Amino acid sequence: MGGELRYEIAQNAYIKLVLHALKHKTSAVNGILLGRVSPQSDVVEITDSVPLFHSHIGLLPQLEISLILIEEHFAAKGVSIVGYFHANERFDDHELGGIAKNVGDHIYRYLPQAAILLLDNRKLEALSKTKDRSPVVQLYTKDASRTWKLVGSDGNQLTIKEPSANVVLLDYISTEKWQDVVDFDDHLDDISKDWLNPELFK
Amino acid sequence: MVSKTEETQLNRLENQVDNGGGGAWEYLCLVRKLKVRRSEKVLKYGLSILNDLKKRSSLGSEEWTLYEQVAIAAMDCQSLDVAKDCIRLLRKAFPESKRVGRLEAMLLEAKGSWAEAEKAYSSFLEENPLDQVIHKRRVAMAKAQGNISGAIEWLNKYLEIFMADHDAWRELAEIYVSLQMYKQAVFCYEELILSQPTVPLHHLAYADVLYTLGGLENLQTAKKYYASVIDLTGGKNTRALFGINLCTSAIGQLAKGRNKEDKESLELQSLAATALEKDYKQRAPEKLSLLTTALKSLKVSS
Repeated sequence: MGGELRYEIAQNAYIKLVLHALKHKTSAVNGILLGRVSPQSDVVEITDSVPLFHSHIGLLPQLEISLILIEEHFAAKGVSIVGYFHANERFDDHELGGIAKNVGDHIYRYLPQAAILLLDNRKLEALSKTKDRSPVVQLYTKDASRTWKLVGSDGNQLTIKEPSANVVLLDYISTEKWQDVVDFDDHLDDISKDWLNPELFK
Repeated sequence: MVSKTEETQLNRLENQVDNGGGGAWEYLCLVRKLKVRRSEKVLKYGLSILNDLKKRSSLGSEEWTLYEQVAIAAMDCQSLDVAKDCIRLLRKAFPESKRVGRLEAMLLEAKGSWAEAEKAYSSFLEENPLDQVIHKRRVAMAKAQGNISGAIEWLNKYLEIFMADHDAWRELAEIYVSLQMYKQAVFCYEELILSQPTVPLHHLAYADVLYTLGGLENLQTAKKYYASVIDLTGGKNTRALFGINLCTSAIGQLAKGRNKEDKESLELQSLAATALEKDYKQRAPEKLSLLTTALKSLKVSS
């Protein structure tokens, strides 16, 4: 009873999003977080993610189509949309921008525990040196004041399910695995490309 | 902007070089011609030629073009030592050159010495106010420092002089979209459609922004432009086909009870839906049932 709501992200969901950001270094990227709220309502489990776009992120048509298709696909598995991932275009831009907040608001309407994860570029860059185990993202949630607030990283409110995820991530970075990530933009340009990335971690 | 055939050609050449099949010089020339940004590959393959004495001398005077190309790619990849070396060699070969001076100013920008770079760029523009590259570097610098409103200001000033620069209009539109300033983005795309009416991407982007703005009139215009994309691309543009469906659905929700437009628009919507289903059946069959359900949810219930 009591205590704060925790967020736990699965390794593959996490790595997929970071690799997506690395594939498109010169633009902002975003993605959808999927999962469920635990039966005791104390943990939001982010079990999967879908990388969305790397261009024209502020436009609605592609976002709407992607959300319809994603929701439909995952509903069959009892998994729903639990949050949004965003990576800013510039390295030293740590702000949660308007677009991210708008998408977050939309998801919040269906799930008040919705989370926004913002890529922390500095933390990602320093990862090979710090060997940090915590995720290279910042967590934002909406509190009673109805604004998106940064959740302090000192508490363990966001953890990666598999503790060695960053080690795996660094390995993938060294082998340029980001080349294999397919996002919704890629799918819309060529529908034979699968935004589910089924072969990515095989 | 690069056409699909040009991009396929470039990617094929890139794969060839990546897999050891040679053709590095052709690749570098094509990148230069198409003005695309492939800095990591340019750096890698450019250096492999420049560091090989035989390969380098076989280039003749083109060697200097390659040094310039590699210098710029190196700056983009933050390999500033490589950039410095290339620029130094260019300076030795062309002591009076303004073109090399431009690279030296760009190096200041790459190092993050914003004030010095700004000074250098300003003095360049004083001597030559029509230097497009330097104008654009100033916009890029503003953007890099997070001064987006400054970038917009500089870019607008640039477009007052160089109003036929389509890439600049697109850059401005994209900046506006990223700031959710959709009305201003609409203006940019209108300029692009006026000057390049047969380029489907402009029609598509215009439709996307209009849809995002919303409202009955914008949605109806968006639908027209998605239709013109389909026209210009022989029905092969997935985004436009989806766009038709989204527009019809949104219009239907806004214009409940107005029967006049219904028949035609429903026909267009089902044609677009059928085209999508046919394409998915052929190229992405495992996603077909998902698509069908999605399209059904967008069908206007009469």
